[in-house]
Formats: sequence, C-alpha cells, structure tokens
Amino acid sequence: MITITTTSPKSRFDWTRPVLWLFAAVLVLLILLPLSWLAVFAFTDKSRHPTLQNFITLFSNPDFLDPLLTTAIIATTSALICCIVAAPISWLVSRTDMPGRQTIRALVTASFVTPPFLGAVAWELLAAPNSGLLNQLYRLFAGEDADALFNIYSLTGIIFVISCYTFPFVFVLVANALDTMPGELEDASAILGGKAWTTARRVTIPLALPALVAGALIAFLQAMTLFGSPAILALPAGFHTMTTKIWSLFQYPPKLELAAAAAVPLLLLTILLLQGQKALLGRRGYSVIGGKYGAPRRVELKGWRWAALGFCLVVLLNPVFLPYFALLNAAFSPNATTLVTASTATLHNIVFVFTELSSTQLALRNTVILGTATATIGTLLALVIAYVTTRKVIAGHRVLGFLATAPVAVPGIVLGVGLFLSYTRPPFVLYGTLWILLLAFLTINLPSAYQQLQAAFATIHPELEEASRILGATRLQALRQITAPLLRTGVIATWCFIFIGVMRELSAAIVLFTSQTKVLSVLIYDLNEGGDLAAIAVLGIAMLVITFAVVLAVNQIPMSGGNAGAKLRNG
Amino acid sequence: MAAVELRGLVKRFGSFVAVDDVSLTIDHGQLVCLLGPSGCGKTTTLRLIAGFLEPTGGEIRVGERVVSSRARTLPPEQRNMSMIFQSYALWPHMTVAENIVYGLRLRKMDRDMIAKKLAAILATTKLEPLAQRYPGELSGGQQQRVALARALIVGPETLLLDEPLSNLDANLREEMRFEIRRLHDEYRYTTVYVTHDQSEAMTTADLIAVMNAGKIDQLGTPEDIYARPESEFVARFIGAANVIKGIARDASHVAFAGATLEVVGAKLTAGQSAPVAIRQHEIQLSTQAPASQQNTLKAVVTRQVYLGMNRDYMVETPDGTSLRVSTPTETAVDKGSEVWLTLPPERCRALSR
Repeated sequence: MITITTTSPKSRFDWTRPVLWLFAAVLVLLILLPLSWLAVFAFTDKSRHPTLQNFITLFSNPDFLDPLLTTAIIATTSALICCIVAAPISWLVSRTDMPGRQTIRALVTASFVTPPFLGAVAWELLAAPNSGLLNQLYRLFAGEDADALFNIYSLTGIIFVISCYTFPFVFVLVANALDTMPGELEDASAILGGKAWTTARRVTIPLALPALVAGALIAFLQAMTLFGSPAILALPAGFHTMTTKIWSLFQYPPKLELAAAAAVPLLLLTILLLQGQKALLGRRGYSVIGGKYGAPRRVELKGWRWAALGFCLVVLLNPVFLPYFALLNAAFSPNATTLVTASTATLHNIVFVFTELSSTQLALRNTVILGTATATIGTLLALVIAYVTTRKVIAGHRVLGFLATAPVAVPGIVLGVGLFLSYTRPPFVLYGTLWILLLAFLTINLPSAYQQLQAAFATIHPELEEASRILGATRLQALRQITAPLLRTGVIATWCFIFIGVMRELSAAIVLFTSQTKVLSVLIYDLNEGGDLAAIAVLGIAMLVITFAVVLAVNQIPMSGGNAGAKLRNG
Repeated sequence: MAAVELRGLVKRFGSFVAVDDVSLTIDHGQLVCLLGPSGCGKTTTLRLIAGFLEPTGGEIRVGERVVSSRARTLPPEQRNMSMIFQSYALWPHMTVAENIVYGLRLRKMDRDMIAKKLAAILATTKLEPLAQRYPGELSGGQQQRVALARALIVGPETLLLDEPLSNLDANLREEMRFEIRRLHDEYRYTTVYVTHDQSEAMTTADLIAVMNAGKIDQLGTPEDIYARPESEFVARFIGAANVIKGIARDASHVAFAGATLEVVGAKLTAGQSAPVAIRQHEIQLSTQAPASQQNTLKAVVTRQVYLGMNRDYMVETPDGTSLRVSTPTETAVDKGSEVWLTLPPERCRALSR
C-alpha cells in the first residue's frame, strides 16, 4: 500500500547561520556605533584629547545647572501627579461598578496615542495668556482688562501638559495589575474577617503597589526625556530643560562635545530607572499564579457611581476633550483662537495645508517614505531576532535579544545626538539624507516591535516547525511554509505600530532633519514657531485620525490583544 | 531501512548531564521504547536521534552512516525520519490533507502519486471524511491519527514517537496503543517510542530501555523488565514492587527481619547488603502459621483498604519495614492483627543495584 520512499530531500547549504550573524552585526552597528561616538565626544575636547572638562562645565555653569534642576522638578512633580490621578481612575475602572468603564478606558487610550507635542500645541490654543480660549472665556466674566487666568508658558503649565499625556503610562500598569489580581485573594481576606478597608490596606494596595511605583518611574522617565512639550512651552517662557538645552547646543555655533556630555546623565538615569522598574515588576510574579481564579468582585459604589464617573470625565477634560475641541475649532475657524460659528466655519485651512503650504507635500512624502521603509525593515529585523531568541537558534541569542531591547534605554534626543555624531563623518556621511532618519526611527521602534513579535512567536509551538523539519524541510522552508503564515497577523500589527511610531517621533528627528528631510512632526514644530496654529490643527487631526484607525484595526485582530495603545512610545 | 545505533551518546546542558553515555542498538524493523520518569533524559535522547540537538559526545549511526557526532550533525531534514510529537504539531493553517501530504510535496513527488498515497493513508487511518477539515475542527483522537498519517506517508527509515498518547483520554489511549502496534507490524519501521507510561511500553515495544538519570538502567523485553528487574529503580518503577533491604547469608539466601529468605536473581556475596524485590500480589498473607516455615515472616497489619477487585494491605515487619500486600477480597484481616507472610522463593528477586 505505502511504498517506501528512500529518496531524502537534496542536501543544501544551511544559509541561516551567516544570515543570523549578519543581523547581529547590523544590530551592533545600529546601537553601539552612535553610543560609542556619544561617549567619545563626551569625554574629549575639540581636538579629541581626553578630558573631563565637558562634565565640569555641565555641572558648574548655571546655564546647564538650571535646566538640570528644571528637568528634575518637572519629572518629579509630573510623576507624582500622574500617580495621584491614575491610581484612583484605574481602580474605578478595574475594580468597581462605575458606569462607562469601557468608555473611560478608551478615552485614556486616546490620550495615550495623542502625540505629546500636539497636546502642547492644543493647550497653547486653550491657555496662552492673551489669546487662549479659556482665558478669553474667563475675561467674559472678569472683564476685558483682567489678568490671564492661565499661563501655559510657565513651569506649572509644562508640568500640567506633560502630566496630561504621561498619566496613561501609570494607568495601564496599575489597571493591568488590578485586572489580573484574582478576586479570591480579596475574598480570602474577607472570609477571615477582614473588613473592606482592612482588605484594601492589607491585600489590594500591597498587590498593586509595585505596579504603581513602576508606573511612577516610567512617568518620571517620560517627563525627563520628552522634547516636544518643553520646547513648545518652555522656550517662549525663557527657560530650558535638559532636552531643549541639548537641542540648543546644536544651533549655530554647535557645541557637540557639550551636547554629548549633557546626553550622558539622561542616558544613565534612564538605564537606572528601567532597571528599577524591571526589578519591581519582576517580583510581582505572585499575582499571576495559577489560572483557576474567578473574575474579581466589583466594589459597589452605590450612590457614588455617577460621582466617580464625573470625576473621571473631569480629569479627562484635560488630555482629551478640551485639546481635541481646540484643535477642531482651530482647523475650521478663520482665526485659530476664535470660536468657530456656523457662519464663520471654513475649509480654507484644510485647503491651504494640503494644496498651498509648500512644505506639507515634502514632509508628507518624507514621512510616508520613512514610515514605510522603517516599518518594513524594522518588522523584518524584529522578526528575525525574535525567531532567534525564542527558538535559541545560535549561541549568543541572549545578546541579540538584549541588543534589540537596549534602545528602550536610549532617549530619542540622546540617540539623535549619537547618530548625528556618527554619520556626519566618513566613512558614513548620512547627515542630510533620509537614511539617518531611517536609522533613528529603526532604532527607536525596534524594542517594541521585537517584544511584540517575540510574544507572537511564543504562541507558536516549536514542534510545529520541528514537524516540518523532520519531514524534510530546511530551516528556511519551515519558516516560509509554517511559521510565516501563522505569524501573519502579528506581523501586520507590528508593521502598523512602527508606521505610527515614525509619524509621532520628534525628539530624534529634531536633531537630525535638514530642510530637504523634514518630516510631519518636525513640520508641526516649525509651524508652531511660525505661529501657524491652524495648519498644525489640520495636520494634527489628520495624524490622529490615521493613528486611531490603525489602533482600532489592530485591536480587531484577536492575536495582538486588547491594549494596542500601550505599545506606542512617546518621543 | 537500517538499524539505528547510539554509541556512548552524551548530552550536556551547561553542567547538567541530560544524557549520560547511552549506548543502544535498535535493529531494523524493531520497536524500542525509552521508558522512564520525567527528567530521565528519554526525550533528549529522542531529539538527539532526530537531529534537533547536537550531541556533546558519542555518535549516532543509521545503518553505516554517522548522522550525529560531536564534529558533525546532519540536520533533521536530511535524516529521512518521521516524528510524532507530544503536541501532534499539526499546522493549524493547513487542512488535514495538506498536513498529510506536506512531506511528499517537499520530496517533489508528482501529483498523481501524491493523490494515490493520500487516498491510501486516509483509508488506513480512517480519516477520509475529514480530509478537508482544519486541525482545529478535529477531536484529540482524530488529530492523533492525522499526526500518525503525516508521519507514515513519507515512508521514513526511522519513526520517532514522543509521548504520542499523553494528550488523549484513558479509553482512547488504550485503543491507540494497539493501533500503533498494528501499524508497526504492518510497515515494520525502525521505531523509537518515548513514554513514561509502563503499560503503554508493555503493549507496544519489542524492547524496553528503562532510563534513569540520563542512563539506560536496564534493557530487555517487556517480560524481562517486569519479571526480572535488575535494579531497585526498575523494580520500583515497573509495577511498583516492594524492595526489602536484607543482608546476604550466601549466594542465594538473605537475612531479613529475623527470618531467612531464599531468593533468585543476582548472585550475592555473604555479609553484603542485599536489596530484594517482590511484588505486592506475589506475597501470600494468612492469619494462621503456614505449614511450611520456608520464606515466611511475621508482620502486623497497619492499614487495610477494600478496592473492589482485591484488598490492599500495608503490613509492618518486626524490623519496622512497611510492605504492601495485595490479596483476594475474601481475606479480610483487621488493622492491628498479626499475620504470616509467605514470600515464594522464585518471586524474591535479589537486585544487583
């Protein structure tokens, strides 16, 4: 019946190893080269003689000490505010019977995916001292000559705006911890006689605390490394943060050594904080033991249900409702800071931005080219690395995985400085081309792409590939015929996220762009300097629409899970 | 087809020795079971044979060809083997038919031939009505048969099975054991079968290699392994025998709990400690002193459970050793009673390890 087939498939050279080593080399080049140049410049003078003078200047000159202090104040207070706001909201959404929980989650995701620099511009529209919509409203009541109620161009203003777009990081971590916390743990305390408050104090809060602290660290990190918001709000107010200071060192006459030195503390702090966060969340393992837990019991808020919802909505006024309203208003109004009415509504801004504004075409084209190229190359790169690390194909796969996640610890502006230093000199003169931006975006987006695809690989049992190998497929055939089709949805999702990530990136691009390589985010920043807020509103809304469309579409894909917004990185 | 030969096979993961100097010859057309508890190295051995792992030492030959050695390991696709995985590893994006013919397509076989072979194997495994379904739409037993069909259709020189039945429920498992043995008798592939279930090994294997801590503890026919265990590990692992620790009097007598037992099996040296295995249902239990005093012991019942088919006793000998005894249900003795145990000499096996 079945005859014996003795012909085994033809033996071929296994190309995988050389290919994998090539990828490892690419990674090393991508990450280690800019960081090495950063180190070289930070520790040398103009003629490349080793010196510590840069750091002495950095830590003695008030020009640098003030931004350092400012950054510390902004990061600390923002982190604190984020925790104070995010903790109660995540508890309400995750553990109570508050109405509209899903809506609140969606709205937090909306503030998550809003590029922070866009939020900062929107708040300019709302709370600039003279023209801000909220201040105009205030003067309606207080009289024409009253002082402005809000001044967004201030330390408080910056802290406020940064907190608006950073608190979702804390929310996601804490809500996630509370979601996965088994209800039985609380029930066990209750059955032993613990009253509601005792249970909360002895069980719920300790279990959620590591997530909250980890969230605070991430918020601190975000606030510290953000470029867009401080550049938009602090520079008009006449002061600097570390990121804007680094950027200003690139303006004529450039002081590259100082810029490199100033980037070093940012880098070291980021690494330290990420280590702290990892240690905190790493010990949290006990909250996910076993799988047979029931859904947590929801706390009944009774009469307070609607008050709780009101609280959440009032908080969300700030990152979502008010700014979106201001942007929409500006897009359709002849004057960005005048309330639009049915008779004044105009499409002029939209027509202007897409047909007359000469830089839009260029920026859009660059963004699409870079987005497509970065997403394609990045997905491919992440795919191969995720394969190597989950299947342990070559010795040293851990190193490869580490390299792929390492850029997480490199703030965008630090990477920008490193890339600038690496690629303005032979043998690689890439400055002024799109290539240098491609490298930057690739590096920045690699960690999340890698993590996402690694998770996708983990769901594919290695035996599926082995079954194909033992039946005669080479490793590449197994990858093409078995693994690739199974990974398809994960790959598409990753591609989309990188594309969005590229669109939102500002802090590395701001150091690396030239007039011919402007991208959308840089254009928005430029338009802000020129005061053209209506054009920003149009571009910003277009950007948000694309982002929401992708996030929604990806959330429909069952494999990639429900928290698509969490995979974006703010720059 | 050819014999598979393992020579001094060693596999280390860091400092952990998973496979420790294993030598084994599987003759052409034979079915050998690697049997042992989890972590004994049986699956690692199988994966070494398949070529998914490279050995740290030793070599694997198929016929005259060295397929694995420290210097060179032939990749799995060039070994002309087939494997059935614990998870079945059916590709969820392919139909049953596509799964089954995958190996033939890789061998660039022409379309008609593939269709003919597919029809034949679908008939053998009773899968015809399911050919166009996806694996996710099949029951566990059906998935198992698809995995079997996919492995057999390519006509491998060697067939490897990695705990193929562990995901099935008890009834189906028993049925599939005989099915695997039937298919083996039909095609006579050289087969290596990994399992931790001794009755699975008993029904399917020509030879059983009992593995412990990376080594083959005993190799023999199912009857050898059960009736003539050589080591304490094999005696306990196969059929959960009692192992008593006596002192050898001479080559075939052991002093234990104040009595002298005549034993068979390993040759003993007087004065040495001598482990002796005896199965629970081979010990006779009586309330009166038996007529012959040979190989008898006094003991006290410490537990008695009625199991339906038999009674399960725990008794304690004067030196404090606990023994399990299984008797017909008629012999009911209360806890605390004194009883006499008879350990038939031909059932007492002295162990060499």
